[in-house]
Amino acid sequence: MEPVRYDDRQEIVSLRLQPAVSGKRRNLKKYLYAVLLLLPLLLFIIGFFVIPMLYILYLSFIDTEGPGGTNATYSISNYGRFFTDPYYLHSLWLTIKVSLYTVIVSLLLGYPVALTMAKCSPRVRGLLTLLVASPLLISIVVRNFGWYLLLLPNGTVNQLLIGLGITESPLKLLFSEAGVVIGLSNAYLPFMILSIATSLYNIDPSLEKAAAILGASPFRSFISITLPLSLPGIVSGMVLVFSMSMSAYVTPALMGGANVPVLPVVAYDQIINLLRWTYGSAVSYVLLGITLAIVTIFTRMMEKGRYREVFR
Amino acid sequence: MQALANDVEIRGVYKRIGRNVILDGIDLEVKQGELLTLLGPSGCGKTSTLNVIAGFLDIDQGDVFIKGRRVNDIPAYKRDLGMVFQTYSLFPHMTVYENLDFGLSLRKVPKDEKKRRIQKALELVKMTGLEDRYPRELSGGQRQRVAIARALVVQPKLLLLDEPLSNLDAKLRHELRAEIKRLQKEVGVTTIFVTHDQEEALSMSDRIVVMNKGKIEQVGTPTEIYIHPRTEFVFQFIGKSNQLQGRVKSIDSRMISVELEDSGQVLVEAENVMGSDRTCTKGDAVKLYIRPEKLMIQPVENTNPNYNSHTATIVQMNYLGSAWEIEVSLLGKRMQVLHPSIEAGWTIGTEVMVGWNPSDMMIVKK
Repeated sequence: MEPVRYDDRQEIVSLRLQPAVSGKRRNLKKYLYAVLLLLPLLLFIIGFFVIPMLYILYLSFIDTEGPGGTNATYSISNYGRFFTDPYYLHSLWLTIKVSLYTVIVSLLLGYPVALTMAKCSPRVRGLLTLLVASPLLISIVVRNFGWYLLLLPNGTVNQLLIGLGITESPLKLLFSEAGVVIGLSNAYLPFMILSIATSLYNIDPSLEKAAAILGASPFRSFISITLPLSLPGIVSGMVLVFSMSMSAYVTPALMGGANVPVLPVVAYDQIINLLRWTYGSAVSYVLLGITLAIVTIFTRMMEKGRYREVFR
Repeated sequence: MQALANDVEIRGVYKRIGRNVILDGIDLEVKQGELLTLLGPSGCGKTSTLNVIAGFLDIDQGDVFIKGRRVNDIPAYKRDLGMVFQTYSLFPHMTVYENLDFGLSLRKVPKDEKKRRIQKALELVKMTGLEDRYPRELSGGQRQRVAIARALVVQPKLLLLDEPLSNLDAKLRHELRAEIKRLQKEVGVTTIFVTHDQEEALSMSDRIVVMNKGKIEQVGTPTEIYIHPRTEFVFQFIGKSNQLQGRVKSIDSRMISVELEDSGQVLVEAENVMGSDRTCTKGDAVKLYIRPEKLMIQPVENTNPNYNSHTATIVQMNYLGSAWEIEVSLLGKRMQVLHPSIEAGWTIGTEVMVGWNPSDMMIVKK
C-alpha cells in the first residue's frame, strides 16, 4: 500500500524544478554523462535501424521503368500502384482483418487470465506468469509446426471435431485466415496478458471494497471499476498485439501460406523472390504508415474518450 | 429472530486464518447513534472486527446482527453500510460528483433527489464547488472529506471508519478528527471507528473498545478507560506509564500497602486493583503502575502526609513546550514525570520530592 504516492511525486517534481546552485555547467556535465551512457545504443540504432529505414524510404520513391533499373526517376508511382491495384488493397485489408481478429481473440482469452493473476496469491501469480510467458521460450517455427500437427485436415483437432460429431468433413484450419489468427494469438497472447495484468496489479484493492460497501455486486463492480481502470493495460496490450500482428511474417507464411498473403509476406516476395526492391520498399512503408495511423488514432480516441482520466 | 435494542450486536464471534486465531470470542454491542472506537495495536483484531461487520470477512462461529437482522450470510453489497478507508479509495476515474453518485445510482434514487443529496453531503464536508474535480486533483485531506461524503450520502445504516486519518499529516489529522466528531453528531449515524492511535480514540469516542490478540480487553468511556483501566494491557496501551514492583504487606478496606522490591513502601487505593479477578491478597507479588502526569515533583522541603512521597534525583530533563518531561531516579527505579513547570536551579543531579495520590496508582498481581 502506498497511500502518499501522489504527494511524493509532487514533491519530487517540485524539487526538480528548483534551479541547481551552480547552474548551467553542472547541467552540462549531467547531460554529458547521459549522452555517454546512451552512446553505444544510439550508434547501434542509428547504424542498423535508422539508416537502413531511411534507405528503404529512399528506395520506395525510385521509379524503375526498364529492367535492371534503367531510366530510374524519383516519383511516387510505387505508392500509386499499391493503392490502385485491387490485389494489394485486398492484401492490406487481409492484414488488418487478421490483426484485428488476433487482437480480439487474445483480449478475450487473455483478460480472464490476467484477472486470475491479479487475484491470486503471490506464489500462484509467479507460477502463472511463468506459464503465460512460456510460449515466448519456444521458437516461432517450432511452435508453428506444432500447430500443423493439430490443425491439419486429418490432425488432432479435426479428428476430435469429427469424432464428436460437430462437423462431418474436416474444417480448413491450416492455410486459412483462421490458422493465421490461431498462430498469431498463441504467439502474442503473453504480451496481452502481461500488460493487462500489470494494470490490474496497480488497482488499489480497497476500491473494490468501496464499491461493494456502496452496494455494487461483484459483476457491477467489475464493469464500473475494474474494467475502466484496467483500460491502460487493455489499450497497450491491444496496440502491442496489433502492431506485432500487422508486421508478422513467419506465422502467416507458415500457417496461411499462399492463401493468406498478408503485406509482410507480399513485401518479402517482392524483395526476395521478384527482386523488386523499390516496390517492396513502398509496400513496407505503406504497412508501417497504416499501422502507425491506426494505432495513433486508436490511442488518441481512448485518451480523449469517456475514461480519459485513467490514462493520466 | 428477536428485536434488538442495539444497532450492532456481535455474539461469540470466532475466526481463524490458518493457525492464527484472528478473533477469539468477540461479544460487542454498538448503541444507536454512538461513536464507538475499536482501539488496539496492529494485529489485535480491530480491523478484522470491522471487516466482519462490513461483510468482508466470513466468520467461523458466532452471530452478527445489524439493526436486529442477522447478517452472517448477507454479502457486503447488500448490507447498506457506509465505509471510509485508510487509502481514501475514491474511484480515480470518476469526478467527485460521480463518486458520490455511484451509491445513489445503485439505489435507484431519482435524479433530482440525487442532486440534492450530493449537494447536501458536499456542504456537510465543506467541499462545495469541487464537484467536477478528479481525485487526482485533490489534496489528501480533501480526498478523505469526499470519501466521508460518499459514505454518508447513501444514508447508511452504519458508518465504518477504517483508520481514516492515518495517512494525513498531524495538523490535518487534528482538524479532521474534530470534523468527523461534529459530522457524526450532526448526522446521528451510528459509527464504528478503527484506530491504533490512543489520542484519537480518547478525543473522539463515546465509548472505546480496547482489543488485544483477538480479544476485547475493556469496553468503556474514554475517562473510564484512561482512569480506571481494568487490565495491565489497557493501562500500558493508553498513555505512558511508570512501573514498580513489590509485595503486598497489608490490606484494609481502603488501602493496600506494598513493600517495594528494593526499598520503601507505597500506598495504593484498594479499588485500583486490575486484572481478571480484580483482587489481591497479603503476600502477593504485584506490579504497580502510575502515569507520568500523576507524579508531582516538588522541592525537598515540601511534603504531604496524605501522599506517597519519596526523595528522588533528577537524571534528565526534556523541555516539551507545554510541559517538562523529567526523568528521576526514585526508589532505585527510573521514572518519568510530566510536570508543567520547574523550579529555578533544578538541574541534573538535583534532589527533589516526588509524590502521588494513592488513588492514581494501579496495582496488578504478577
